[in-house]
Amino acid sequence: MPEERGKRGASQWAVAWRRFKRNKSALIGSAIVVFFVAVALLAPYIAPYPARSYLPLYEGDAGSPPSFKHPFGVEDSGIDVFSETIHGTTNDLYVGLAATLITTLIGVAVGAVAGYFKGAISDVLLGLTQVFFVIPVLLLILLFARVFSVLVFRGLGLTLIVLILSFFGWSSIAFIVRGETLRLKEMEFIQAARALGASSYRILFRHIVPNILSPVIVVATLNIAGFILTEVVVSFLGFGDANTSTWGLLLNEGFSFIRTDWWVSLFPGIAVVVCVLGFNVMGDGLSDALNPRLRE
Amino acid sequence: MIPVFLGVAILTFGVGNAAGNPIDLIRAGLKYPSPAVLEALTRYYHLDRPVWERFLYWLWDLLHGNLGVSISGRPVLSQIGPWTITTLELQILSLLLAVVIGIPVGVYSSKHQYSKMDYAITTTAIFGYSMPTFWLGIMLIVVFSLDLGWLPSSGAASVSYLWWGNPFLDWLAHLILPTLVLTYVGLATIVRLVRANMLEVMRQDYILAARASGLSERTVTYRYALRNAISPVVTIIGLGFGAALGGAPALETTFSWPGLGYAFTQAALTLDIPLVEGITIIITLMVLIANLITDLAYAFLDPRVTIE
Repeated sequence: MPEERGKRGASQWAVAWRRFKRNKSALIGSAIVVFFVAVALLAPYIAPYPARSYLPLYEGDAGSPPSFKHPFGVEDSGIDVFSETIHGTTNDLYVGLAATLITTLIGVAVGAVAGYFKGAISDVLLGLTQVFFVIPVLLLILLFARVFSVLVFRGLGLTLIVLILSFFGWSSIAFIVRGETLRLKEMEFIQAARALGASSYRILFRHIVPNILSPVIVVATLNIAGFILTEVVVSFLGFGDANTSTWGLLLNEGFSFIRTDWWVSLFPGIAVVVCVLGFNVMGDGLSDALNPRLRE
Repeated sequence: MIPVFLGVAILTFGVGNAAGNPIDLIRAGLKYPSPAVLEALTRYYHLDRPVWERFLYWLWDLLHGNLGVSISGRPVLSQIGPWTITTLELQILSLLLAVVIGIPVGVYSSKHQYSKMDYAITTTAIFGYSMPTFWLGIMLIVVFSLDLGWLPSSGAASVSYLWWGNPFLDWLAHLILPTLVLTYVGLATIVRLVRANMLEVMRQDYILAARASGLSERTVTYRYALRNAISPVVTIIGLGFGAALGGAPALETTFSWPGLGYAFTQAALTLDIPLVEGITIIITLMVLIANLITDLAYAFLDPRVTIE
């Protein structure tokens, strides 16, 4: 029915986009996100100094407060905080986005299987999801980061952190996908597909998963913020990769000079807050746009 | 609860084993161990047995309240006791404050939706959960301890000189900044949730019916709406308590607060595996107990939920 197509009403995504555009705070959040993504991509061109460079030390600027030349000041060791914050953007967004991508894939797969099928595998998957939902994840992340970076996988750098965050971070998505799958699988269009002889695999990934994308998108956006915050904590405590510029590493170094060089703690912290805020506000906006039932 | 506990036990034991042979770690401390000592250690840690058997030995000891001996040579359990108390002191005080302040503020915000005050409250709240807790702590230390000199920057009690000249006030002075940070972060979540649930509940027909039957707005809000809006909040408080305990390492390290979190960070950095395992297990137990209390409170607040 190709001629029917042109007459169809706006898709649910177009409707959601229209709603999203009207939401002022959602647009502010998105603008913040776009800004940070741009900084992350252009980091090598914007940052005055290369990553983890001690050059300002030789220029005699070590430990100097914010100035025109060094807008965010310089560490006692000679690292330019402004450049380092910019390089940190690239790495922290990498951690947030990569961990979100992996956990979303795991969460959707686990949740869909646990919700759609009945039997031992589903029970085990549900049990695993519950375990990972309740355990004090941050402690285990710290422990894994410490042990694996020191003793087992040297040299994986930030990717090790991404893998550990992903290993512990998929349960929220899995829960939502399972709930939605349970709800959808009883609906008539799924029964129709089954009556037409579609395989379970096809029903699950062609009919169910595309219909639960909107809550997944919302939670994934909020998860990006959560993973960035967790990475900041891990690096701040000294469990991260000490050779890669991250906001947490800057804060870790700043904490040792807290008595004298407050600027090393202040500026990267502001970057974290604004970036995480951007993702959170954008996620809330997406939630309002995609689930209008929750709005007045 | 039992699968969760077992899951954490397996994960911590597994990673502890990945950290290497406990003897190697101890040997780093003993410069010239005699073969007899090494043999005794091997037997003590059951190193001649396969991994799964060692896990069962470890679990058996754990279930009998024996958390092993830390690298410093002291039993883990006796070290953990005081830390648990200092951690709970901070966590419970902040949780109570957050609940007591958060519920009325959330209700107010929902009753005045889209007012200036509502925008101020929701904006403050969204900052609260977009902020690394420890960073807020650092900023408060910079301003109130280092710059203004009004409050101590670290520890739970002074060593030499008493802050404000009296042990009780000294204790209070040390508590203020960390409590402030934790309360603010807890508030952010509670206010947001109370507000969202209240908005949802206030649209229901029975609220209209309650209003129509001439009840005062106060009664409608607090006795009819809040009663129904609060159950999910209780769940989040339980989960939030777990999250706050998980966040203890960063916050307690910032304030050098002598609790489980600070000890965890130090032990993990020095790879004191028995200590790390012990703290993880204790915190898991505390989280599980918090969840149990949450479930009981939920059943109490919502008579439709029954405890099996």
